[in-house]
Amino acid sequence: MSRTVTYIRIYLARIIVIVGCLSILAGYFLTSPETAGLSSELQLWSSAISGFTLFIGLITIFARYIRSVMNREQNWPFHLYCLIVIILWVPFGFLQGIYSDIYQTLYLSTKITLHITIIGMMGWFVVSAMYRTFRVRSFRTAVLAILAIAMIFFNAPYLTTPYPVFGDVSYWLLNNPQMSASRAMVICGGIGGVILGIRILLGLERGALRMTGGE
Amino acid sequence: MNCIISSITGELITKGTTFQLFFLITSGILAYIAFYLARHGKTWEIRPLEGLEAIYEGIGRAAEMGRPILLLPGISTLSNAQTIAGLTVYGEVAQRSAEIGVPTHLITSSTEVVTAAEAITRDVYIRAGKPELYQPGKFVKWYGADQFVYAVGTSGHILQMKPATTIYYGYFLSDVIVTGETGSRVGSLQIGATTDQSATPLMAIVCDYQLVGEEMYAAAASITKDRNAVATLAGEDWIKLILLALMIIGTLGSLAGWNFIYQIMGV
Repeated sequence: MSRTVTYIRIYLARIIVIVGCLSILAGYFLTSPETAGLSSELQLWSSAISGFTLFIGLITIFARYIRSVMNREQNWPFHLYCLIVIILWVPFGFLQGIYSDIYQTLYLSTKITLHITIIGMMGWFVVSAMYRTFRVRSFRTAVLAILAIAMIFFNAPYLTTPYPVFGDVSYWLLNNPQMSASRAMVICGGIGGVILGIRILLGLERGALRMTGGE
Repeated sequence: MNCIISSITGELITKGTTFQLFFLITSGILAYIAFYLARHGKTWEIRPLEGLEAIYEGIGRAAEMGRPILLLPGISTLSNAQTIAGLTVYGEVAQRSAEIGVPTHLITSSTEVVTAAEAITRDVYIRAGKPELYQPGKFVKWYGADQFVYAVGTSGHILQMKPATTIYYGYFLSDVIVTGETGSRVGSLQIGATTDQSATPLMAIVCDYQLVGEEMYAAAASITKDRNAVATLAGEDWIKLILLALMIIGTLGSLAGWNFIYQIMGV
């Protein structure tokens, strides 16, 4: 790649990022209808470009799963099923519309049922993960385990009905130590996000900018 | 005071955002001062982050075991700061592991992130002097945009590839319990980082190491070993001190029936 093209790739991408960030900030903070219009127009462009990137995902899926089916790799029948479902959804969506009965049946009988299965399985995952968490190995894990067990018991009706004070203790734990810690996390996370944005504007965020071939 | 600020900015700035804009500009100025000082030789040391050390350990572990590394930047798009931080860490981890011959995989639910991550991967292999090892679609995977489709696709990938190290770095929700538990079952060293409140406790139960809250941004800056990027963390600390002072004054003032800080923030 020639040096000129490399420079265009680096600096054009950086200019787009900076102009995009500033226009969105201006659209949010300033009352001027022109800045609001510019911001919404750029967001529209972004949505249009995002739509095109969806094809990249589809290509990735097809490339991987077709190879899996051809080579009879592990779980290839599931990959074949996935490809058939994708191929079926597209013409039905185009020809019948996504709110048609046939499309909704296809959608509900494939995606939604699988979705619900995963949510059901999460119960087992949580129990399994909790088992590991409650193996107390340090002071911090001991505090975590004691508080978790306390919260479970303090919310159990057989304890809170005869002794409402346990319910009050559980609310106090949730609304005071838990809430203050989580708000501290949210505030610090927000500041971290702002500083990351400033690093991008200053051209210091290598991760975000190396994708443009930065030095 | 409130009326004076409103009368000055009311015409120009959207109502209720004046303090936010002031805060943003102040943050920018402080970050730039820290950056300026760093460029003139000032250095800041940041405290060791266990999660960050674990990432380095995870790269070595993958090399010893001859297994890949998996990095998950979460279920959000490039418009989320957490995803950007995840990509930064991906770039650095992929760079170090590519140099020692360990492949790093990334699975995302956003097609925008696929494009960005592919560009990063290509750049990583060029820098590592091994451009022939880069193939589009080999390291960056996309199994679907839905939260649970992502979780299931990732879990399948984990079961097949058995990564030595799995790094969760970005915006997650309850899907992290599915992928995290699968990662634990294949014996992967698990490192989590998110600022999302609902995913933090879930990560705590599935990960061996965790970067909590803004530690994820601090680690993303310090992993690059870029003195200027690390300097902005000093600016971040100054902002935290200002906010802490505002909180203390605001709380004491509020107890005394004086709501000046509260009113200023609502301008």
